[in-house]
Amino acid sequence: MKRVGVFICHCGSNISAVVDVNSVAEAAKKIPNVAYVTHYKYMCSDPGQEEIVKAVNEHNLNRVVVASCSPRLHEPTFQKTLQRAGLNPYLLEIANIREQCSWVHSKFKDLATAKAIALIRMMVAKAAENVPLLRPSVYIRKKALVIGGGIAGMQAALDIADAGYPVVLVERDNTIGGKMAMLDKTFPTLDCSA
Amino acid sequence: MSLEKTTAPKPAPAQPGNWEPKIIAFCCHWCAYTAADLAGLSRIQYPAAVRIIRVPCSGRANPQFILKAFQKGADGILVAG
Amino acid sequence: MVAASQHPNITLMTYSEVEEVGGYVGNFRVKIRQKAKSVNHDLCTGCGICWEKCPNTILNEYNQGLNLRKAIYIRFPQAVPNKPVIDRENCRQFQMDGKCGVCKEVCQAGAIDYEQQDLILEEEFGSIVVATGFDLFAWEKAYGEYGYGKYPDVISGLQFERMSNSSGPTEGKILRPSDGKEPQRVVFIKCVGSRDDAKGKSYCSKVCCMYTAKHAHQVLEKIEGSEVYVFYIDVRTPGKGYEEFYRHSLEEGALYIRGRVSNIIPKNSSLIVRGEDTLLGRQVEVEADLVVLATAMTPSYGSDAVARMIGIGTDKDGFFEEAHPKLRPVECHTAGVYLAGTCQGVKDIPDTVSQASGSAVKVCALFSVDERELDPLTSSVNESICSGCSTCVLVCPFKAIEIKTVTERFYGQTLQRQVAAVNEALCQGCGTCTAACRSGAINLKGFTNEQILAEVKAACL
Repeated sequence: MKRVGVFICHCGSNISAVVDVNSVAEAAKKIPNVAYVTHYKYMCSDPGQEEIVKAVNEHNLNRVVVASCSPRLHEPTFQKTLQRAGLNPYLLEIANIREQCSWVHSKFKDLATAKAIALIRMMVAKAAENVPLLRPSVYIRKKALVIGGGIAGMQAALDIADAGYPVVLVERDNTIGGKMAMLDKTFPTLDCSA
Repeated sequence: MSLEKTTAPKPAPAQPGNWEPKIIAFCCHWCAYTAADLAGLSRIQYPAAVRIIRVPCSGRANPQFILKAFQKGADGILVAG
Repeated sequence: MVAASQHPNITLMTYSEVEEVGGYVGNFRVKIRQKAKSVNHDLCTGCGICWEKCPNTILNEYNQGLNLRKAIYIRFPQAVPNKPVIDRENCRQFQMDGKCGVCKEVCQAGAIDYEQQDLILEEEFGSIVVATGFDLFAWEKAYGEYGYGKYPDVISGLQFERMSNSSGPTEGKILRPSDGKEPQRVVFIKCVGSRDDAKGKSYCSKVCCMYTAKHAHQVLEKIEGSEVYVFYIDVRTPGKGYEEFYRHSLEEGALYIRGRVSNIIPKNSSLIVRGEDTLLGRQVEVEADLVVLATAMTPSYGSDAVARMIGIGTDKDGFFEEAHPKLRPVECHTAGVYLAGTCQGVKDIPDTVSQASGSAVKVCALFSVDERELDPLTSSVNESICSGCSTCVLVCPFKAIEIKTVTERFYGQTLQRQVAAVNEALCQGCGTCTAACRSGAINLKGFTNEQILAEVKAACL
């Protein structure tokens, strides 16, 4: 039984000034597999995230769709929220109703509202197909290779070495220094470059 | 499928002047989707009939998806990445 | 340089090249070729008698061909390490069947070793920083109007640098390569190979405006009574203290002419530089003693091979592609590989150093944990329907798929069959394999066919 919770964010007024969040919430309730819908001023804020955690537990939700800004911004944020709620973070989907809706159709509130509903419907459909995923882990060997012994390679090697990690600096020429060592003085302070 | 059953009956074709094509865009997360976000950030306005589907790379756009979209009534497909 | 060579945590491998890179984040397997130096650096004291006595001389690449070096050589007096190598291609000992041996005779330390072989070292690394730098645009091949490099007194900005460097071929004196005289009138031409679609590259090379301003200042400072003309398209000085520096060179007397140079013609011992002053709308002609070209930065030679070896994307000009132009400027799409400096795009020194430190922090952050969680959004193979055709292996941009043999029982018989296997640590989750798989045996976790099809159907409602 798939029980999707839809959480609609106002983003202050970034979304709600264009998209009619009340009618989006009403429409979202009718989407298949949706078990719970709510909206809030700032979904990414502490109280907003608490709302998600609470709803997941109270309404026994097993998928979450957050309708908010781009997933490029807050996907990791809400993945952590799901983890706190005891859900696998990959049961989350984000409907981008800010960058790809309210901000780009700001003159057409009806169309934007209809599109927001459509975007939520798409993400609910996708979320219904989501399955829990486990993050594999790999062992990290703490030794770095720097290819190129110019100023960039030397600086990177020194910084890593100063942090206490071993570094191998490989340079094809028979001296390090690269192009910078060829220069005389360097602008704008005219200090030497060796 | 339950999804299709809930479809509202298709509205009658609108007046020729009002008709808007339904365009499905498969956008690469790293570039085209980011560009679409940038359009939002810059408040560039465009028709609301575009539906963006985020894919991890434009290489993910399987021909099967495109055929399915046409089959389901899409008027145009954009693969961007 | 000395700091890098003396740091206890840094192993310096000069005269070495990376030959092969395998593995994945945290566990890269790298083959490094240590080229034969023909000199035992453990014994060598760097006294310099060998290169003093070496009978063979060749053009010195390090000084941009402005003087000669020996076949056994160091690049410059402050080189690190300060010990020579033998350039076997130009050494009589190697090219004339051992009929020289002068360096071995004079070496008191017995460090010369003609028998030394290339060494191949294999090591494992957790992370790689790529800092392969730049080379200059080969203007000699493109700019016929500037003489295709035939006129000795038309030089590149880097040649000028070597001359004005006190450890360079002229010990810091600015001289004409043709006759060794001090030039009185110097013309600088900017945007050679940059901002020029027809001959070079479309991009702005970024550093040339500033180094030309510096060169102008150096000419005016070092040569009394000298005149400096700078042909430019635009003057771009975005940087801390940069505009002020440029202004200073103007105040010192550098004359900036807005326009391109159409050609350079030799006349007696000088050069006639013809161009247009687009602000005044008229032709100008300057008789110059020396012409310095501000040539564009291009990716370092051989960097394309490095890109293929590690799996780094390149942009239209061959510079390495970062994961995101703004938010992930030092990372690559290949996890655990970071970029520093001009290999990623044109940069001046402050930007290079900043990016290098940025990539160092990324490495340190990676090393701060013993194990790293990977993104689970990787491809997975349904072995029961995989036909082992290996199309996915060919299309995978990250070399993350291999063909493996599985043993199955089929009606009481044991059969062996080939199927695709995804290395989760290498897979970056692009999903190209899933679109290429004819039997639909490979799927991408998090963006499965089922998930995207559900989205497509919902979008078409």
